[in-house]
Amino acid sequence: MTNRRMLVFNILRGTAAIFLALGVGFIFIILSSDEPLNALRYLMVGPLFSIRDGALSFNATSFQTILAAMIPTIFTGLAVCVMFSASQFNLAGEGSVMLGGFVGALCAIYFNMPSWLHPVVCVLLGAAVSGLVMLIPALLKVKLGASEMVTSLMLNYIIMFVVLHFLNYNFADRSKGATQTFPFQPTAQIPALIEGSSKLSWGFIVALVFVVIVALFMYRTKWGYAIRMIGINQPFSKYSGMKVGAIIVLSQVIGGILSGMGGGIEVLGRYNTYLWRELPGYGWTGITIAILAKNNPIFVPFAAFFIAYLDKGCQLMATYSDVPSEMIDIIQASIFLFFAAEQFLAKYRQKIVVKNTRLEMGLTENNNLSQERRDA
Amino acid sequence: MENNNFVVQMKGISKVYPNGIAANRNVDFFVKKGEIHALMGENGAGKSTLMKILFGLEQPTEGEIIINGEEVNLSSPTVAISKGIGMVHQHFMLVPSLTVAENIVLGMAPIKNSVFIDYKKAIQITEEVSQKYNLLVNPNAKVMDIPVGMKQKVEILKALVRGASILILDEPTAVLTTQETSELFKELITLKQQGYTIIFISHKLNEIKQITDRLTIMRAGKSMGVYETATTSQQQISRLMVGRDVILTVEKEKAQPQETVLKVRDLEYTNKWNKKMLDKLSFSVRQGEILGIAGVEGNGQRELVEMLFNLNSPDNGTITVNGVNLINLPQSKIRDNRVSLIPEDRMTYGIADAATIEENVISDRFADKRLNIGPLFDMKMIHKESDKLIKDYAILCKSRKQPVKMLSGGNIQKVVVARELSSDPVMIIADQPTRGIDVGATEFIRKKLIELSRAGAAVLLVSADLNEVMELSDSLIVLYGGKVVAYFENTSELDDTVMGEYMLGLKHQSPEEIERVCHD
Repeated sequence: MTNRRMLVFNILRGTAAIFLALGVGFIFIILSSDEPLNALRYLMVGPLFSIRDGALSFNATSFQTILAAMIPTIFTGLAVCVMFSASQFNLAGEGSVMLGGFVGALCAIYFNMPSWLHPVVCVLLGAAVSGLVMLIPALLKVKLGASEMVTSLMLNYIIMFVVLHFLNYNFADRSKGATQTFPFQPTAQIPALIEGSSKLSWGFIVALVFVVIVALFMYRTKWGYAIRMIGINQPFSKYSGMKVGAIIVLSQVIGGILSGMGGGIEVLGRYNTYLWRELPGYGWTGITIAILAKNNPIFVPFAAFFIAYLDKGCQLMATYSDVPSEMIDIIQASIFLFFAAEQFLAKYRQKIVVKNTRLEMGLTENNNLSQERRDA
Repeated sequence: MENNNFVVQMKGISKVYPNGIAANRNVDFFVKKGEIHALMGENGAGKSTLMKILFGLEQPTEGEIIINGEEVNLSSPTVAISKGIGMVHQHFMLVPSLTVAENIVLGMAPIKNSVFIDYKKAIQITEEVSQKYNLLVNPNAKVMDIPVGMKQKVEILKALVRGASILILDEPTAVLTTQETSELFKELITLKQQGYTIIFISHKLNEIKQITDRLTIMRAGKSMGVYETATTSQQQISRLMVGRDVILTVEKEKAQPQETVLKVRDLEYTNKWNKKMLDKLSFSVRQGEILGIAGVEGNGQRELVEMLFNLNSPDNGTITVNGVNLINLPQSKIRDNRVSLIPEDRMTYGIADAATIEENVISDRFADKRLNIGPLFDMKMIHKESDKLIKDYAILCKSRKQPVKMLSGGNIQKVVVARELSSDPVMIIADQPTRGIDVGATEFIRKKLIELSRAGAAVLLVSADLNEVMELSDSLIVLYGGKVVAYFENTSELDDTVMGEYMLGLKHQSPEEIERVCHD
């Protein structure tokens, strides 16, 4: 019963955060729009339904676009889940996506392979390089005690400029006006799951498979277990005999691999040439998703859907009404704020704990009493 | 108004922490104006919590507080300070890179030309109060350069400048040398003569006798009453602090000690405050016996246990279990040598509070082949293992999936004990195994320890609970100042008055008597 009370409280807290965040968004919409109801309708129902003459009809392409947008963010969300579960606040997911995409793209251009193998090799190679680069903040943390938050944040920009250097000076297609690589070999492209303009590739299925794999890894293997225990209580893990340093490194390398994989799949599934000239932003979204999902991989697709839905809604709102698309940043930032604020509703939580303690103290006393009676 | 000679009246104070630990249970605490009042008790007795409540750092779950006859709600230290309460923490709250004067006026600095800090004025203020209360400090010295004794004076001055008339000193002598201590006492007596009220937290008996007027003793979150210092003997105080409530007798067969398992030789350790915590400490524990370590806390017990489990490294000395050196051995290897530890701080080392009972009981064996199939956990085996432990150790819970932090203190400790005692240990280190938990769980854990020792394990029991250490141990050593001061081969004929005298450093045995504990 006490468990249920805490669960109800957690769900309540999550819902309250989302509603408060949306509430803040609505206030801004009302302030910035002459036709707030119209804008709201695009934001809330627009992503799934076409609105014609006041009648709603399901819009399949739009739905597929939302699913396609979830592909990279599911991967970065999973990556952040693993790292945050170990209490490693590594923020280099962003750079890892870019690097994984870039390495994957190079393989896609310069390797010759059969079509089923080519994208797999590209993505795995990109993931491996991203994982290796994550050794930098991980080892700095374990060996020298440098905060992984700072080093990984800075690492993003190092990765970005290194990638840009190679893109500009070694791999650019000079025949094109914009800075981009040569086109990928057709064998390297990740095929579309549903033909059409939505860009929904098989990458989506791979992403869902990885949700299951990462969930199994975190809750059904000794490594995932060690990662979670270290995240909850590091001294306890050390005393229990876990190799704390090695597991901290492992968690960050896995984070890099997953982010890099997301980058590779996004690049090979959506484009036919590499053209990211700045950090793509999926790493940051991954952090929001992991926080919404409470670091539980199973909830990641739902959180990713929520964010993609909001994104799409804001785009529509910006296109068809007079509200600027920057609104999404305000709403996202407020969700982040309300979820991250640990003290949010903390008073109510304390009340539950006190109540539970009382109840249990009463329980043990009653048990002791009945025990004594039995003894007598 | 009645009772207007009491400046502090705390009535029926109870405090339940967010993790469910009840630190204060219906405590009454009254302090008269102009007295030095000692608040005594072991670590974990609840005295710090009570003082945190008085200084507004914690909010009581129940109870009322009356300061100078006025009922108050001390919602923060700022409110407490405005009511004339000042606190000197054990670990100083000073800015090391600022000067003494700057620290003293911090947050209330005098301003000149409405913009700049008037440093001259700050020095003047510092010198004035310094002379007024005869607490001599150098206003221009940087705090990082001055000795500990002077830092403490700065802390006291800081409180006085803010208008404190009631001063709480949290174990003020713990960090001081003997000279600094006697200097502090003179200053405190001066303050008392000027009408200030001082609450003095300590567990050092001779100091309490030396300067306090009255004392309140706390034990296990409850007040054990108020006493006049002059008419209470050291023995009485020690009995109230560490003594026995009821004579618990533990039934056990006579020990049949076999070969030596744990050998500790010449262990030395000086902590970072340059205090010698372990001083050529040597002893042995044999198969089939429970060796108790008695002593007032802070006499090296914690450091010793940390070294036994490689949570800290000694400066000198050796520790072996069945011939294997434990110093600098990773904890996984220590556990491979079948050494178990029931840690003193169960919330830090014993459990991962947000994890489930199941996850907590397998933390030392989760990588065993028996619980894994290939890369995956064998959930069936893990469920079986945890259900068995929950049953064998009578852990009162709804299911193995319940987070440990939702359990009561006694059941949390049973989770720790279930894990540590079920790994077939040859050496069990039990550090305060029953502190702060209910009678049922206590009895259960004691029985388990006896059972395992009679089955051939070597048990080292560290406990500040005199009752426990005397009843549960087969033989016993007393630690004082990081040294063994007494060894009793047979605990059955000991009486607690004598024990108290050894524990408080009033007596010690000859080196020859002490050496017997090495069994060489």
